[in-house]
Amino acid sequence: MEMSRLNRYTRVMNIAAAVSLVVAMLAIFFYAPVEQTMGNVQRIFYFHVGSAWVGSLAFLVALIGGVMVLLRGDRKWDTLSLASVEIGLVFLSMAIVAGSVWGKPAWNTWWLWSPRLTMVAIMWLAYAAYFMLRGALDDEEKRARFSAVYVIVAFVTVILTFISIRILRDIHPVMFGGAAESAQGAAEGLQEFSGLDSTKMVITLNISVIAFTITYIAWMLNRIRLQRLTDQTAVLKTRVTAHLQGESS
Amino acid sequence: MSENGINEAVTLPEETSFWSAVWTITRKDFRIERHTGQTVSIMIMFSLVTVIMFNFALGTNLGAARELSTGLLWATILLAGTLGLNRSLAIERENQTFDALLISPIRRNAIYLGKVFSISIFTLLLELVLVIVFVVFFNKPFWRPQVLFILALGTFGYIAAGVLITSMSIQTRSRDVLLPVLLLPLSLPLVLPAAMAVSAYMFPELPSWGEVQSAVYLVILYDLLMVTMGLFFYHYVVES
Repeated sequence: MEMSRLNRYTRVMNIAAAVSLVVAMLAIFFYAPVEQTMGNVQRIFYFHVGSAWVGSLAFLVALIGGVMVLLRGDRKWDTLSLASVEIGLVFLSMAIVAGSVWGKPAWNTWWLWSPRLTMVAIMWLAYAAYFMLRGALDDEEKRARFSAVYVIVAFVTVILTFISIRILRDIHPVMFGGAAESAQGAAEGLQEFSGLDSTKMVITLNISVIAFTITYIAWMLNRIRLQRLTDQTAVLKTRVTAHLQGESS
Repeated sequence: MSENGINEAVTLPEETSFWSAVWTITRKDFRIERHTGQTVSIMIMFSLVTVIMFNFALGTNLGAARELSTGLLWATILLAGTLGLNRSLAIERENQTFDALLISPIRRNAIYLGKVFSISIFTLLLELVLVIVFVVFFNKPFWRPQVLFILALGTFGYIAAGVLITSMSIQTRSRDVLLPVLLLPLSLPLVLPAAMAVSAYMFPELPSWGEVQSAVYLVILYDLLMVTMGLFFYHYVVES
């Protein structure tokens, strides 16, 4: 039971996450230039993109975990899926809140029912429902199998979010691989944001995305360890109960 | 009649072809529905009540009600759809006929597809009634063939996701309660473009294909994704 201590990878990743987050914060506040039209408010954007990116990444990892559960039936893949959905949901929530705070000065409203925002809200709900499904199943093997199927099906919302924002007209700018559309949107006056107008901004964005990814990995390692400890505790509990019952009879 | 059905099931050859198995399952569901007549009638009653409730909420403002009618139509179909799904799959569990289906020489994904077809057709019957009701209540051209086509496409995708999710949810502790929580968020990426496409047809002049193209493609993509997932993963959720 050497589980009570953090292993070396986890410790290294924890420190790396803390350091990279500090670096990202410094870059966001001191290195990145002030954006021309939006001013300092635009700095939220680095945070927003970083967490949205990790959200999608986490759901992709959860999908891989789900596929592996169905292929191999190993418990550890279920733990991977569970941890990833949990953390992904936290990052998605952060992206939504940060986006909302940015949207207030940019669009003069906290929330709009544009296709993209609606899709993200749906994505959030779909992954939150994952925990409802888990909670309603007692049998461990069945829970792993059903959650795996669900997490794979739920990824459809991620895929369709990704596609729909590229083919439906939207007020929200497209970040990954959509520079032309964004510029066009800005030219038409549909969007506030016309892309990143300096290399310093691009560098800051990359730093922030990398920092968030490292944080995600560190968080995953800790969460998986926590789940293992929970499982071990459950096993020990049953053993103690069995032992005590054996004594009393 | 039912004896006939049993005999037919027994005389199925060892290696049933995929499509004839699908067809057998669909026909079996129709036969049950013809004898009990419960699924479709419950769905229709529920939808009528929902529509009237919504009208009550929108009340005097007929203009607003008309604006919202497309979304209202889809919301009603989704809610009534969960009833149909729960009913059609729970009936099999209650009578333990599902175990019989599992031991029959039929592939799991044929059972899945048969169920998708039968429940889709039940929902389409409901939609025929709803379209008439909506034309009467809101005076909008819901009868247009393009609208009916989008409705059929959307329904198929919704039920394809629904059969897979319902097969899981009815095996859980919370059963019927869990289905809407799981299924409705998953179906919204479908309903969003479908409702956009339908509302484009609500104006007197027809929209050009370019205006609805991307929405219809999204609906078709959703259908394909969901059916593929269902065919692949159905046997993981029915095995006990």
